[in-house]
Amino acid sequence: MSDFLRILENEVQIFALSFLVCVYFLRIIWLFKFKSSKEKSFPAGNAKAGIAYSMLNVAMPWSMESTRKKPGFYVQFALFHIGVAAAIGATFIIPYWPSVFKIKAILWLFRIIVAAAFIVGLFRLYRRLANPAMKLISSLDDYFSIVLLILYFAVAYMAMPNDYEKSEWPLILFFALTAFFLIYVPFSKIGHYLYYPFTRFFLGRTMGHRGVFARKKNKRTTDRF
Amino acid sequence: MSNKSRHKGADISGITDLPLELESQKKAKKEKINSVSKGQLQLYDKKTNNIRKLLDLLSMKINRQLASSMVGCVHCGMCAESCHYFLIRPDDPTMTPVYKADQIRRIFKRHIDWTGRIVPWWVKARTPLDDEDLNRLKNIVFGTCSACRRCTFNCPMGIDTALLVRFARGLLTDLGIVPEGVFNVSRDQWETGNQMAVTEEDYLETLDWMKEELQEELDNSDIDIPMEKKDCDFMYTINPREIKFDPRSISHAAKIFHFAGEKWTMPKWGWDQTNFGLYSGDDKLGAYVARNAYEAAVRLRAKRIVISECGHGYRSTRWEGYNWAEYDQNIPAESVVVTLVSYIKEGRIKVDPSKNAEPVTFHDSCNIARSGDLLEEPRWVLNSVCTDFREMHPNRRENFCCTGGGGLLSMAEYRPLRLEVAKVKADQLKATGAKLVCTICHNCVDGLTDVIKHYKLDMKVVQVLELVSNALVI
Repeated sequence: MSDFLRILENEVQIFALSFLVCVYFLRIIWLFKFKSSKEKSFPAGNAKAGIAYSMLNVAMPWSMESTRKKPGFYVQFALFHIGVAAAIGATFIIPYWPSVFKIKAILWLFRIIVAAAFIVGLFRLYRRLANPAMKLISSLDDYFSIVLLILYFAVAYMAMPNDYEKSEWPLILFFALTAFFLIYVPFSKIGHYLYYPFTRFFLGRTMGHRGVFARKKNKRTTDRF
Repeated sequence: MSNKSRHKGADISGITDLPLELESQKKAKKEKINSVSKGQLQLYDKKTNNIRKLLDLLSMKINRQLASSMVGCVHCGMCAESCHYFLIRPDDPTMTPVYKADQIRRIFKRHIDWTGRIVPWWVKARTPLDDEDLNRLKNIVFGTCSACRRCTFNCPMGIDTALLVRFARGLLTDLGIVPEGVFNVSRDQWETGNQMAVTEEDYLETLDWMKEELQEELDNSDIDIPMEKKDCDFMYTINPREIKFDPRSISHAAKIFHFAGEKWTMPKWGWDQTNFGLYSGDDKLGAYVARNAYEAAVRLRAKRIVISECGHGYRSTRWEGYNWAEYDQNIPAESVVVTLVSYIKEGRIKVDPSKNAEPVTFHDSCNIARSGDLLEEPRWVLNSVCTDFREMHPNRRENFCCTGGGGLLSMAEYRPLRLEVAKVKADQLKATGAKLVCTICHNCVDGLTDVIKHYKLDMKVVQVLELVSNALVI
């Protein structure tokens, strides 16, 4: 392995990751600078249960009409995000635990996941370009982010065998893209996972307090019963 | 640059060209009405730098919950098909909730968020250029959204688009850039304490009239609609529409309370449970109206507040009002539907469902089903007092708006679009095959009546109190 690749896989990644953590930290401080709101009414439900329900909503496709009616869309969503997780996982496995990818079953599992995510990415890009409603709301950041991820999945697929003796280019590309991601993500829509706990917390807290969320079907939740 | 060319591909079918200046504001200025003099009600002033003012208000008013909904949207478009506007106009991309929310989001991004401040073109961040841009924003957030929160419940990220729309409405209200109807109703509520400008004389006379009719109907001079009685079990608040257009709903309630042996009262002041602050986004108005009711209950030493059938009144009085008024709740508040459940369960009233034999369906008010907690209670009552109750689909949290929500009934300028997209509701109603549609919201009564008339459906709108009153075994 060349020194360049070794530095790219280690020092550069650690620097980029530290940068990401710092920016996220600042971003959270920024969010906390906005004033908070409090519920002053008597509760009809449980805010904590509402928050838990809201946070887990992503794993309950039946709970929202939008995902229940479009199970295919939910599967795509799941594949895409599992693909991201697999690619990120590979950035740690390759330099720090390379023996894992020596096991062919694991290697191919990861490769199939990122390949599926790549196909979903292409579909998502097509949808964004072809659907007038999506086109109208899309910014350059939206397009760039999806293109970048499609590219990332493709490069991850090529880099996963970790065959640097044959060619270092797939690995160089993969880790260079990863470093770029780590620096770019906090300023782009890809960083939405940082906000997910916030948006879900607030919605869950309000709806939990009012007895709207975490409601069991036909369960009565009022002041007096 | 004209407004249309500035927003290429996004002119919303005539709606965005509606006027900025209002005749009623000119009149209010000329007459120097109290609420304007006191600075409670804002008038549009073209000489003011409204853009600067909007940006200052945005920075001042935004809270953490709103900020996270501003930054969290990933533009996935999942909200589109939850919106009745988009379902009816699938070829109009401006009808998606995300597009509507983006109109305020892009201003936030340009002035508060990081990336948008540095490279606005990258994230479509933008400052409104002039008052015409603000007028366009007004026509979008008031005219193309009933703030039903259906999109909020269908967003994988939990973005509260309805809250963003209300926030944008509130900023514009502070600039006096509002639809005529919103200005008029807000003015009435500020000036008279109720949104229909009912005078105290009219209020007391109507209640007396209802009391006399009830006494005559039941041949019982003991029946009363008590006024300003202290130490009662509850204080009853109503929608001014009940005084103006539907006083029978008060006599239905009085009749039921009488047979339940209830100790109740109505207040002379603070009786309006409705709150236009919810629709206009004006938290100050919201606080003023809600506080009137809370203080009336304290003044009368009532043990609880019972809110008559009203969706936004229930949401405002039961939930939001305490936050707007920064008032720690000290007296329980409940919907009259909950009171009815207790009467039937405890055997305080007897009902005969055969007296309501026509097939009846139930329309969940958005403000109660998605922003409140009452889903099963009205159904339980309907099953007790009707023989043929049938569900509408989808229902409960997934029900569609009556399409008159969000204050749209008071905004005549948006009526054609409102009725066009009401096809979703009309189809829902038709599919039930019911002859009666019951709702626990006065606003929905008017919204649904409009839908029924426009789509020529063979149906009538009723409320729970009316059906319970019909079914009473006396």
